[in-house]
Amino acid sequence: MSSRVCRTCGGADIDVDQARGSAVCTGCGSVLEDNIIVSEVQFVEGSGGVSSAVGQFVSADGPVKAPLLGSGFHTTVGKESRAQTLQSGKRQIQQLGSQLQLNQHCLDTAFNFFKMVVSKHLTRGRKTEHVIAACLYLVCRTEGTPHMLLDLSDLLQVNVYILGKTFLLLARELCINAPAIDPCLYIPRFAHMLEFGAKTHEVSMTALRLVQRMKRDWMHTGRRPSGLCGAGTTLLLPRQQQKSTTEQDCLHQTNNMLSPTLPPTALLVAARMHKFRRTVKDVISVVKVCQTTLRKRLTEFEDTPTSQLTIDEFMRVDLEQECDPPSFTAAQHKAKMQQLEQELARKLDEVEGEISCYKDEIETELEKSRPKLRGIYAAYAKEIDPEDVDGLSSTSEPEEPEVEDAELQATTQHLTQDFLCQVIQEEDVRGKKTDDSKQEEETEKEVAGPQRLLAPLAVILGKLPSTPGLNLQQTFQTFNKSETGRKPDDDESESGELDLDGIDDQEIDKYILNDKEVQVKTELWMKQNAEYLKEQKEKEERIKKEKEQGTYKEKKKKCKKREQIEALTAGEAIEKMLEKKKISSKINYDVLRDLNSRGTGSGGGSSPSKASSDPPNSNTATRKRLSRHRRRRKTSDANQDLAANASIMGKRFRRLISTKKKKTASQVENSVTMTTQITTETASEPTPDPELDTSSTPTAPPPTVVEEEEEEEEEVEVEEECVSALQLVGDYGCEVEEEEVF
Amino acid sequence: MDSSNDEALDIIVTNVVATFRTRCHLNLRTIALEGTNVIYKPEVGKVLMKLRKPTITASIWSSGKIICTGATSEDEAKLGARRLARCLQKLGFKVRFSAFRVVNVLAVCSMPFAVHLIDFTKNNRPIASYEPELHPAATYRIKNLKATIQVFSTGSLTVTVRGSALKWKLQS
Repeated sequence: MSSRVCRTCGGADIDVDQARGSAVCTGCGSVLEDNIIVSEVQFVEGSGGVSSAVGQFVSADGPVKAPLLGSGFHTTVGKESRAQTLQSGKRQIQQLGSQLQLNQHCLDTAFNFFKMVVSKHLTRGRKTEHVIAACLYLVCRTEGTPHMLLDLSDLLQVNVYILGKTFLLLARELCINAPAIDPCLYIPRFAHMLEFGAKTHEVSMTALRLVQRMKRDWMHTGRRPSGLCGAGTTLLLPRQQQKSTTEQDCLHQTNNMLSPTLPPTALLVAARMHKFRRTVKDVISVVKVCQTTLRKRLTEFEDTPTSQLTIDEFMRVDLEQECDPPSFTAAQHKAKMQQLEQELARKLDEVEGEISCYKDEIETELEKSRPKLRGIYAAYAKEIDPEDVDGLSSTSEPEEPEVEDAELQATTQHLTQDFLCQVIQEEDVRGKKTDDSKQEEETEKEVAGPQRLLAPLAVILGKLPSTPGLNLQQTFQTFNKSETGRKPDDDESESGELDLDGIDDQEIDKYILNDKEVQVKTELWMKQNAEYLKEQKEKEERIKKEKEQGTYKEKKKKCKKREQIEALTAGEAIEKMLEKKKISSKINYDVLRDLNSRGTGSGGGSSPSKASSDPPNSNTATRKRLSRHRRRRKTSDANQDLAANASIMGKRFRRLISTKKKKTASQVENSVTMTTQITTETASEPTPDPELDTSSTPTAPPPTVVEEEEEEEEEVEVEEECVSALQLVGDYGCEVEEEEVF
Repeated sequence: MDSSNDEALDIIVTNVVATFRTRCHLNLRTIALEGTNVIYKPEVGKVLMKLRKPTITASIWSSGKIICTGATSEDEAKLGARRLARCLQKLGFKVRFSAFRVVNVLAVCSMPFAVHLIDFTKNNRPIASYEPELHPAATYRIKNLKATIQVFSTGSLTVTVRGSALKWKLQS
């Protein structure tokens, strides 16, 4: 820099004056630089005497657009995308945070989290409001504010689990350990909401003690903190008499409820204890748990020894003993019950085994009469057993398969060779009475062996006659095949060839219905899915039509689902529809309403008028055009005409089912206006349209007609709701027309 | 299976999910009409077929991708899958059994003691997470095994493992 050394005297002492913008050598006084570029802040006086600094904010990261926009422009314009994201995020955080009554420090922290999230690209594919909510909840957790995720989901109307998912993900990605929430934190908040007045503090202290007690009694692990609080408060509510008995009663009364969340329980108990009349419903509305939950929690609390204490005792004494978690005890209870059941079952089996021995002896006699079936049915006999066993007890099952396997291997050969014969035989057997089949099955069992449980078989067989024989046979074969199929599987080849090892084709065949069955099933399926098929056909037809008209858009996805408009009358329906669709302001709704009211009064429609709608597009087009120009000139004359016209137009409109509601409304109107000009003759005449065209003064016929036709074509997309309102009008129109035509 | 304890801990595999491809387009309507034990869901575009012997429910898509669920072991899953493919073959489709892959295995185990979830989560900070407002169990994730264990306060555990970790097991 030249200001370091003076040119004239060589002195290094140079005085730079920022204000004047000059550099002067103090030795010789020569001016080295003049008009130095200064970087001072300048101030400008604005309106009202407010002085503001001159300048523009420049983003620190990324390129900046040329600041040619001038001040006062919309703040988001001119900034790059990242800054915009952050700014909008900040705004949303402020908005949401203020609703939660978070202080500024929390909001700033939340914004910092948000910035981190954005820089890690975690906002991609997620709704910003979810991310914001998660950031806010993260702050709540780290700061320990009594805000629940439920509150946030309430504000946003979003499923709490979705928010939870986002929250967990953010916490993981940002490596933030959100400390576990203590149910005690919620108590003051809920207590305040339950309006205990002066005693709020007392009630909350008692509730706190209760929650702490619950914690030690293992009631709070795995439960939502809000429920525990609720129960605690309700328990504290009534506290009229100081007698120990009544107090205990109160505690027990409120102990009827179990809540998965501790604080509500604690609050309920606390409230009762302090003689406040707070019903369960009040607590529930505050705490957002359901009644059953609260009830459950109270029951759990009841089971603990603490519930036996009187209120005074509770405040003073703390029991040493800790309880097991309630679900743990419940599970143990369940396990015991199961054990008992098993023992009972075992005993039953023993008894049955004795009976079966006798049966075997009888059956051996029968067996001799049918030796041929033995080999075949031996397999089947085994198959029955698993069924029986399942039906009876679980203990004998493990023995069965092993025995079956051994015998099966012997019989598989029989099966593979004689299977076809068997099939035929079996079918014959099936054809016979069920008694026969029963007997055969019994003989099958004989072969099974004395150890088998055959007594239950009789019971099961007793049921069999009711089931179709086919199924039974199928199950036998299925079981048979599956057991043969239980060989170890080899790895299949990489080429994709299906390794048929261990798969028995016969069994698979059973999975496929034969022709007759297919027919029956086809019929059933068609009937069941008739609606769906109809919809599909309509869709196809619609697509074809559109294709012809050349307006078919490829890959037209489903439009947003519109809710059905429920209305008592057609007029209401139209009104509602118009509201929804934000129709143009150029429609006179009064006339629309009148239309329908008149329409209901008159009778049915006439066919000629319907026929007259043959060249519908052009007519309605012209009508639309005309009415648009005439809309303002509507008069209340000839209300009946209006109705008639409505009906006429209604008929016409039916052709144009695809037009949007907006247009139909306007069309209805148009028809109204139109027909005021036209006499009722038009209704009777089959081709009134050309007359109409000529009689009415067309303002700009060709282009507008074309326009409207095009518009109509565009509007061909059907929205089903359109039809309903339209048809309503049309239906009424029918009646009108019939009356009007003489 | 912890056999070193006096009381053996029983870990029971309750569900195995596997997928495979048939490498051919499947006509769902045919399957729906000609198979027993099928449920056709045209809105979603799949057919649910249930097998009896290895109790398996399979979701069949028209692209030929099939998901089998409900098996109690990997071998069973494979058997069921092959059975299913054979069934489809019989229905007339040129089915080839390829890309069989076990996707998920779910097992249940129970500890004889209760677990204090909050302390447990504190001690295993980044690996374990517990959100009482969302789910009553603490989730413990083992990244290298791709396993997720849900620990309940009663002491029951639910272990879910992603399929890729099982590859070496199947081969060995």
